[in-house]
Amino acid sequence: MGELFRQYWIPAMLAEELPETDGPPVRVKLLSERLVAFRDSEGRYGLVDEFCAHRGASLWFGRNEQGGLRCPYHGWKYDVSGQCLEVPSEADNSSFCQNVKLTSYPLVKIGDVLWTYMGDAATQPPLPEFEWTHVPAEQTYTSKRWQQCNWLQAFEGGIDSSHVTFLHSGGLKTDPLFKGAKGNEYNLNDTKPFFEVADSDGGLFVGARRNAEDGTYYWRITPWVMPAFTMVPPRGDHPVHGHFWVPIDDENCWTYSFDYHPVRPLTETERQAMVDGHGVHSKNIPGTYRPMANMDNDYLIDREAQKRGETYSGVAGIAMQDASLQESMGPIVDRSKERLVPADSGIIKARQKLRKAAVALRDEGVTPPGVDPEHHRVRSAAVVLPQAESFLDSCRDAVKAVPGTAQHTV
Amino acid sequence: MSLATGRQSESARAASAAEARYRIDVPIAPARAARVVALDDRAAQVAARLAAHRWAHAEFLRADAVGELRELGGGPLPLTAALIGADVVVVLATEDGGRDTAERIGRHCFRYGITTAGVVLGQGFEADDAVAALRPYARVLLLSADESDVFELLTALRV
Ligand code: FES
Ligand SMILES: [Fe+2]
Repeated sequence: MGELFRQYWIPAMLAEELPETDGPPVRVKLLSERLVAFRDSEGRYGLVDEFCAHRGASLWFGRNEQGGLRCPYHGWKYDVSGQCLEVPSEADNSSFCQNVKLTSYPLVKIGDVLWTYMGDAATQPPLPEFEWTHVPAEQTYTSKRWQQCNWLQAFEGGIDSSHVTFLHSGGLKTDPLFKGAKGNEYNLNDTKPFFEVADSDGGLFVGARRNAEDGTYYWRITPWVMPAFTMVPPRGDHPVHGHFWVPIDDENCWTYSFDYHPVRPLTETERQAMVDGHGVHSKNIPGTYRPMANMDNDYLIDREAQKRGETYSGVAGIAMQDASLQESMGPIVDRSKERLVPADSGIIKARQKLRKAAVALRDEGVTPPGVDPEHHRVRSAAVVLPQAESFLDSCRDAVKAVPGTAQHTV
Repeated sequence: MSLATGRQSESARAASAAEARYRIDVPIAPARAARVVALDDRAAQVAARLAAHRWAHAEFLRADAVGELRELGGGPLPLTAALIGADVVVVLATEDGGRDTAERIGRHCFRYGITTAGVVLGQGFEADDAVAALRPYARVLLLSADESDVFELLTALRV
């Protein structure tokens, strides 16, 4: 699975973490590798091995100065590509340091996110084209949070439409970024959705269908682009949200949560609600990306709020409702003990696709779905359709990201 | 637990890898009596290959030319008898020939509260009508599936 992730551009960090040239370097752990990110005097981004090639001091302590990061122990200096520029102790340092190069990966800003590609340079794909990072800055917002479990069990929540009616029922009524949509009524009135799962070029579309007015169904369509990008179907004219789950190591992941509107700026109120941790975002401990409600404080569970019906699980906020339960399964959930039901078919199929792609890559070198930027141009959708219509046929346009057009939503 | 350690919250301790080892380990009894019904010839070939695997209670059936159900390689069975005691029915289709049977199975399962899953093998364009006939009744429709998808679905459902 690690090799599979190395075929893709993935979020490495938020652009806000490296706000200025020659600013402090930042530790980044991704795909079980410890790295350090920095932005040099010319504004170039670098993502390199955390440890100095000399005697292994952490370059987190490095001095970011004059076009490179200098290890404070004995002064070795590296540029954004990991190339050693200076070894002060060497008389003839130019020829020695030419041969010293730290492992490094590209780090590219697109939207609010710094993306990296950790695979073979020879097969580096074109840059990602997810719509949320390509709309004007005033139309988009991205946050991230540390989640203390394997990425897969977190990601599976993103294509699991049947939990929304239960776990997030409170949020549908009260969350400023969810409430008020006509579709919410269908959601709450019909707790037994029907599902359709179909392949897309980059992954899957999972359609969840609930009863609407006579003769019609309310459809919520969730796209998954391999390996770990999902979008939540929209509600009314609220911004559209989604996630990107990135493995830190086998037992931790970064959950990137975004909200954007394809055709209008986010309002002040909306942006503030996102900053305050509403919708899919979390309120984090200032200066960190750890949620304030986390496993060390029992997620601030409020049994009274649960009894009053304000929250279904007692945990506040959609993001932490998901995270608390996913983390409660343990760092890597034991799937041999699951009892899956037909409604879990999206999850069953997604696991199957991931495994197939990993095997095809390993045995035949096949490029997996989702690498081609064309596959990134998808959207979620919420629509009401006559009962006889198939969501795939009727929604071909709705699930395509066409810049400058509004989302299809109810 | 939090009292015992004095440091970690109950949730933090309970979510650790060390604590995960204490989850009760009992074999999971297969709870589903499944019927896998192939609606057409190509689907029947898939069903026959799947039937060769080891399953707990799954029974494999096919619809014949006149829409009757039969055991694979066996005699005809009235639909009601074939589905007696079933709590999940997985319908396999590759084309539209089985549309009417699909509808009859769907209605029956709906009436008797039997969970129904429809699997369309191949690209699905040839099975549009069969899918449309199943849609109102099938809790889940897997479109554009292949044989391994059916195998994985049945395995995950522990039939
Ligand atoms: S350990 Fe970095 S320069 Fe010596
Ligand atoms: Fe959720």
